[in-house]
Amino acid sequence: MAERNLEQLEKIREAVSQDLLSGRIELLLGWEKGHYWWQSRPLFASSEGDLARLTWDSFCAVNLSRYLLDELKDHQKVGVLVKGCDSRAFNRLLQDNMVQRDRVILYGLPCPGILDYNLLAAEAGSKLKGITEENGQVILKTEDGEIEVNRDEMLMVKCSECLYPDPVVYDQMLLEPLGQKEVPERFKAVNELEALSSEERFAYWEKELSRCLRCYACRQACPYCSCRECFVEQENPRWQGRAYQPSENFLFHLVRAYHGAGRCIDCGECQRACPVNIPLQELNRKLIKDINELYGDYEAGVDAEKEPPLLTYRPDDPAAFSEK
Amino acid sequence: MPRTGVFICHCGTNIAGTVDIEKAVEASRNFPGVVHADDYRYLCSEMGQDLIKKAIEDNKLERVVVGTCSPRMHEGTFRKAAAEAGLNPYLLEVANIREHCSWVHKDIEEGTPKAIALLRAAVAKAVLNESLDAPELEVEKRALVIGGGIAGIQAAIDIAEAGYEVDVVEREPSIGGRMAQLEKTFPTLDCSACILTPKMVEAAQHPNINLITYSEVEEVKGFVGQFDVKIRQKARSVDPVKCTGCGVCYEKCPAKASSEFEMGLSKRKAIYVPFPQAVPNVPVIDRDACLYFRKGRCQICEKECPPQAIVYDQKDEFIERRYGTIIVATGFDQMSPSQYGEYGYGQHPDILTGLEFERLFNASGPTGGKVVRLSDGKPPKKVVFVQCVGSRDKARGMNYCSKICCMYTAKQAVLLKEKVPDAKSYVFYIDVRTAGKGYEEFQRRAAEEYDVAYLRGQVGKIFPEGDHLVVHGVDSLSGKIIEIKADMVVLAAASIARADAPDLGRIVGINSDSYHFFNEAHPKLKPVETHTAGIFIAGACQAPKDIPDTVAQASAAAVKAVGLLSKDFLKGEACTAEVNQAECSGCMYCEAVCPYSAINPVEIEERYHGGTLKRTVAEVNPALCQGCGSCTVICRSGSVNLKGFSNEQILAEVDAICLQR
Repeated sequence: MAERNLEQLEKIREAVSQDLLSGRIELLLGWEKGHYWWQSRPLFASSEGDLARLTWDSFCAVNLSRYLLDELKDHQKVGVLVKGCDSRAFNRLLQDNMVQRDRVILYGLPCPGILDYNLLAAEAGSKLKGITEENGQVILKTEDGEIEVNRDEMLMVKCSECLYPDPVVYDQMLLEPLGQKEVPERFKAVNELEALSSEERFAYWEKELSRCLRCYACRQACPYCSCRECFVEQENPRWQGRAYQPSENFLFHLVRAYHGAGRCIDCGECQRACPVNIPLQELNRKLIKDINELYGDYEAGVDAEKEPPLLTYRPDDPAAFSEK
Repeated sequence: MPRTGVFICHCGTNIAGTVDIEKAVEASRNFPGVVHADDYRYLCSEMGQDLIKKAIEDNKLERVVVGTCSPRMHEGTFRKAAAEAGLNPYLLEVANIREHCSWVHKDIEEGTPKAIALLRAAVAKAVLNESLDAPELEVEKRALVIGGGIAGIQAAIDIAEAGYEVDVVEREPSIGGRMAQLEKTFPTLDCSACILTPKMVEAAQHPNINLITYSEVEEVKGFVGQFDVKIRQKARSVDPVKCTGCGVCYEKCPAKASSEFEMGLSKRKAIYVPFPQAVPNVPVIDRDACLYFRKGRCQICEKECPPQAIVYDQKDEFIERRYGTIIVATGFDQMSPSQYGEYGYGQHPDILTGLEFERLFNASGPTGGKVVRLSDGKPPKKVVFVQCVGSRDKARGMNYCSKICCMYTAKQAVLLKEKVPDAKSYVFYIDVRTAGKGYEEFQRRAAEEYDVAYLRGQVGKIFPEGDHLVVHGVDSLSGKIIEIKADMVVLAAASIARADAPDLGRIVGINSDSYHFFNEAHPKLKPVETHTAGIFIAGACQAPKDIPDTVAQASAAAVKAVGLLSKDFLKGEACTAEVNQAECSGCMYCEAVCPYSAINPVEIEERYHGGTLKRTVAEVNPALCQGCGSCTVICRSGSVNLKGFSNEQILAEVDAICLQR
């Protein structure tokens, strides 16, 4: 692990342990190392001992804000480490009335992007044993020696296209902000899909969605999915058939995407969580793009005070169906 | 499974022509739950209704499905019949096999299976219907009229005469509206003020009428019977109780501004009444023009006012009142012809619109009643009238006919001849439209006795040359190019909706057509109703119209309003939304989209891990809910359901159509 990360980790640990010990927060949501070195999983820390396991590295992908849905039931005051995307997820929950702002302390962590293990492993060729990072480079340690690669090229897709590496809402910023960064064209894949004929597009999604296992990991990871009972599990009426067939897969993904219209913060957690690599972000981005085109630019989760376009009415809202 | 009866109407040949009724009856017998099926030539007739009632009793029917016309037409009729037979009216379901089926198909082979599918869906829904009760709602016995023109005045007088209180909100300092700006009225040439002023005074003095002038409606909440309205009464800067209307203030006032009432052709003072017969006769200070408000000194009106009625620090005030019904009568505007560059409007003082020209005839108008050229004060000898400026113009204006221009042009040509006997008028027209009692006769008289030349054709260009305005036109009957050296040109500019009509529509909750005129509920049978219960429209805010039509419509709207106010209670909406609070996650998006403010957050307690947990969920107030269903659409978890249109019922209908082809 890089020196910089250890230094940062100490800074983070110092700040949150103070709050945890003084009782300012009852629980801290952070990350700890998982079973493999390339995994960092959520940490639920309520003691100094728990905090010893805290980690902050290039694999802290899991969006922690969503865990507030459960944790606020059991704890009066919860602290959360938030990257840019976690902070926007928090705004999503705040706007959806799912969390109370005064019961949460947000610790801001500017995030240079999460590394994609699959990319690293592919680059490594032989067995990858670990990495270190230096000056924007990742050094892959393999059985055959070391390979140096450009860090930016090893990022998760969702991170390479991230518009907000710095938290947009926080109580305390723990590290130096990184500032806005240049991103490649975000709607590139959507544009390409839009250019297809409807038959081609249907065939594309039929193929992609045919892999869906309906494990609902996308939903579980998603900050906009906060229903107490998801429509797919409702019995009466039973919206979602249990059968494992394309039309049921379509129903699930399309209805879920519509539920995110104007609400999806484009954090990409759905796609990351998907065990069969369905490009779910493109469904969400299609709706983001449509809403931007119809109602003007709107970035969900950036400003909790800004009214969501589908919940507001303005006289100049487009009404293509009723215009002469 | 509830015992269900199906009744299919032939509607003469309307349905029977494209639906095999016998087949449909046979098919209906096999739907789950159906124990009785029958047909009749006209189910809506008394005999037809009796057939249903008898079958309900004989067969102990618990649900009824009628396959007829649109529920908008006769749902009420059949529900009433079901209720008379002892069934809750909401257990009856209409399958629309006329508008949705027989009328859109020509082929009986296509129409029949579709009718059967629609009936099957209606039965599937009906078996899930539940008995519903409509809440009773009190009626506030007071009406609000928005707009104090002739329409608003007439409606207010009629309502007041029927014995109900009525408030009239007028934006301008005086009531009177457009009619007050007119000199004479066609086709009888009555002096407009002579017939309008008594009505204005009657409205002002009527014990049941409360005039709220210089005010605007800012917010309307609630529903039929109980509209809660917020009215902004703009600061007049004059105490209406102290003011005697002596007029010293505006005589002495040194500041001037363009007069709205005179269409900008002359100036008024900063403190002013819009016209001499204004009601109420209480001046207003135009704070944008007043020297004291602009520069902090002057105060001449305050010094000169005998009863000391000037109140500079008066503030806008808000009136919040409840009304049982609302009539919208906000009138029209005249389109500015400046977009028609070839007519030169705005480039020359002698090119006027119809309403501007009208003011030249008026004794208190900008020229003191002398018809003269505004450029040099000489009486015009040749006047060219151009019709349809902005009307009947698909390319650059409005598609519709403004209706009043043909007649007021004939009137103005006649009046011109009386004022300037040696004047000659030319009228360029597309068609002369004079439908109305005495209208055609009047127009013919103008053409024949008052030397008005009617030229069928359009004007291509108007430009000044020396003392004159050269009018280039084409006489399309003779095909000749016509050039007239005119002294004055009058453009019959289109009547258009008020610029802020869409805003008012949104506040009040009524919709407009693509020209922003307010929509009536039915073009023939509900001409003064709107799609919002309890809100009526009258006058030119609905479409361009003349004074007789406006007055007739105003009285019609008043009757509708009075009919409503005469009831103590109204039946509310039975099909209201309800929240499954166990499922509701409390995001309150439903509250955000509810147009009736019928949804509120409430806190509930829930058992959680042996203890209790407080959380926020949505709750519907059934008295306010109008059953529009917006909340059910926005709710992602389907926790809001609309009674009578529940998710289960709609899915049952969809399944009935899709699963059994």
